[in-house]
Amino acid sequence: MTEPVYLDNAATTPLDPRVLESMLAHLGGRRGNPSSLHSLGGSARDRLEEARDSVAALIGASPGEIVFTSGGTESDDLAILGLARSAGPEKRHAVVSCVEHAAVREAAKCLQTEGFEVSWVGVDADGLVDPVEFDAALRPDTALAAVVWANNEVGTVEPVHELAEICAVRGVPFHADAVQATGRVPIAVSETPVSTLALSGHKLYGPQGIGALYVREGVFLQPILYGGGQEKGLRSGTQNVAGIVGLGSAARLAREEMEDRVAHERALRERIVAGTAEIPDVSVNGHRERRLSNNVHLTVSGVEAESLVLFLDSLGYVIGSGSACSSGGHKASPVLLAMGLGEREAFSVVRITVGKDNTAEEVDGFLEAFSTAVAQLREISPLYAG
Amino acid sequence: MSDRYSQQVVDHLVSPRNAGEIADPSGRGESGDAACGDVACFTVGISENVLEEVRYKVYGCAACIASGSALAELVEGRHLLDAAHVSKGDLEDTLGGPLPAGKEHALTLVLDALHKAFEDSWNRKAGEMLIGAQTGRETGGRSVVAAMSGGVDSAVTALLLKEAGYDVATVTFRLHDGERGSRSCCSPDTVLFARDTAHRMGLPHFTLNLKDLFHRRVMQDFVGSYSEGRTPNPCVACNAHVKFQASSFLADALGFQHVATGHYARVEEGPTLARPMDESKDQTYVLWPVPRDLLSRTLFPLGEYRKTEVRAIAEERGLAVAYTPESQDICFIPDGDYRGFVRKKVAAEPGDVVDREGQVLGRHAGVVDFTVGQRRGLGVSAPTPLYVTEVRPSSGQVVVGQRQDLEVREVEVRDLNWFLDPEEAACVQVRYNGSPVPCAVEEAADGGWVAYLDEPAIGVAPGQSAVFYTGDGERVVGGGVVARRGS
Repeated sequence: MTEPVYLDNAATTPLDPRVLESMLAHLGGRRGNPSSLHSLGGSARDRLEEARDSVAALIGASPGEIVFTSGGTESDDLAILGLARSAGPEKRHAVVSCVEHAAVREAAKCLQTEGFEVSWVGVDADGLVDPVEFDAALRPDTALAAVVWANNEVGTVEPVHELAEICAVRGVPFHADAVQATGRVPIAVSETPVSTLALSGHKLYGPQGIGALYVREGVFLQPILYGGGQEKGLRSGTQNVAGIVGLGSAARLAREEMEDRVAHERALRERIVAGTAEIPDVSVNGHRERRLSNNVHLTVSGVEAESLVLFLDSLGYVIGSGSACSSGGHKASPVLLAMGLGEREAFSVVRITVGKDNTAEEVDGFLEAFSTAVAQLREISPLYAG
Repeated sequence: MSDRYSQQVVDHLVSPRNAGEIADPSGRGESGDAACGDVACFTVGISENVLEEVRYKVYGCAACIASGSALAELVEGRHLLDAAHVSKGDLEDTLGGPLPAGKEHALTLVLDALHKAFEDSWNRKAGEMLIGAQTGRETGGRSVVAAMSGGVDSAVTALLLKEAGYDVATVTFRLHDGERGSRSCCSPDTVLFARDTAHRMGLPHFTLNLKDLFHRRVMQDFVGSYSEGRTPNPCVACNAHVKFQASSFLADALGFQHVATGHYARVEEGPTLARPMDESKDQTYVLWPVPRDLLSRTLFPLGEYRKTEVRAIAEERGLAVAYTPESQDICFIPDGDYRGFVRKKVAAEPGDVVDREGQVLGRHAGVVDFTVGQRRGLGVSAPTPLYVTEVRPSSGQVVVGQRQDLEVREVEVRDLNWFLDPEEAACVQVRYNGSPVPCAVEEAADGGWVAYLDEPAIGVAPGQSAVFYTGDGERVVGGGVVARRGS
């Protein structure tokens, strides 16, 4: 069987061959521990710092503000838990949006078990946080606020700049999960006063298992890992040098190619939106303009997501589903419910996310397969009367 | 067990067999609900008990769609008895082995939808019968429809009949809502449990929806009795009007000869009803109203066994029902709160508690709260214990008295069902766990009968059953309903 056409880039991106090459160069040679004093250690340290420069450059930060982690989840957890736990005994409140990735949502729930109060800020039907509502949720005892830069499910890009400025004025540390946004949305922490910002390697054509947390100069975080004091004490443990080298290469390429990639993705995205619009009772979720260049999120009325994903898989097209079905029944996505979708609708959603390597021909083939699959599944659906 | 789907599942997903819906089906069944997310719908075309056409629709995960497709393909063209035999395991085999973890509910979902389509077809076929009328019958070979409640007795009944060489079809009755609470396709449910048990024994299983019939002939009577000052026995009402008729209907429809239940009793020549081997489990007292023509085709295999043996058989054969607890309560009132149940259905008006002379001793909140012989909850204090001796719904009075005031020597009985010549009646039992009291019987002018007791009986309440036995106490001569207390 030929390789399937990959349209699930929000889940993970393919590893860029140029990134792989940079990693192999490191993995294949003699290696030292970047903390060692000798020459091999120094060499590893050099690789590390080159990568740090590249990551910092991608988001307009200083290299000293970049902490390497094991990925997006660790970055989010370190920011949320670290900011809250270092906020002082009188600050026991957090403001978090209802459309966060699970990494932020679950870390905030962990804070609740530690006695923090969490205000969950809602969104409109497009998944957008309202800055006025957000502002109203902030209190004198708020230890931190967190809003995702671009939502991983529906792709809506939040007004993070405005939200971060509100927090800066109110003196509240602000965390942005930019795992999906990095490389697709221009980010400059020099302009946008976030306190911390999470990003991940494998959404950027880099390796899995590597990420970074931007921590603004002067912002204090309590670590969640303790040990040798690497990464300025914020992330103890010998660094994943090969992963960091890969992340550095991926960041450098993303910075150089961002404009082209976004234009390419956007064209493919619009091709999918236009193509699927021809099928009755298919609607796009999320904001039409303020959205990630690569994301198409659809409600396909009368069709259950898993069956559609597997059907398309069998036709050679890989996409993401918006729900999971298990013995306990479906678990509707909290993000979709927050946007006002009904339980049943929330089981009928799929996510198609293109990447820099997809082609218009692939998209056309997908549209044909999608149309076939939807028609056939609707044929046997007792919930679709078309 | 893999967490991925087999090639067969994907094949059924992409190329579903028998998808669609029959425009004018013999039966239609749907399973699933919003909480679960998945919905399956089956329509069947049945002719002479053969599934000539089976169509399905599913909204749900790949496992649900593939299971529906595989089931429809598996049963189309087969005899109903073969189709009703198909188990979750059979279905998994055709899908290339166990489904991924967490997907097993797909099998339950589609089987339930198919069985509900069968159930619907029976109801359509039965027309008025399953809501109150009678039907004729044909006879076949050594074949029997065994009623299965989900308990150990009825399961072992079906198993014993199978092992004795009968063709057995099992049936579970849907009698009321609220059996084990939830109706979601993924939660434990009486019908699903009984179906599973039958399939594990390798027997076909059917479901009949008797909710209307049961409501009319059993539950309404139960509630009405209390407000009329009678003490009802819903099991008797069910045996009189529901269980045996419905089993018999299905036997006729399948061309089967016999019906069977898990009661502890024997059917002897005549037909007549006789006490079982295990006297401690004797259920002849609640079986007296079974019509003679139905009793003549009835088998009670457990009449030859002790309860301990029945449980041992279930354990030995590995039936999960071996460990189900003994049910004591009325099936539609699982918490045992009869008063609460009745009070939800009828408005209760307060009235007086009086003594035999009519002197008012106190107030009560409604006659539905009282039955003859009751001692507790009278709200009246007295030097010696007081008992309810009579309930007078027309005046709203509850009459109380001493224990000896409850003694009766004459019992008037109506609605009689005789198996033997009334002359043979030598003793009468007036309570489920009571002992028969020697008596003489005499026909009354209005068609009822009067039993003259040799010794006084205590707490004979109108509405209860009076069952007459032969001189040796072994056989049921007949039975009826206590009309009112003799003086």
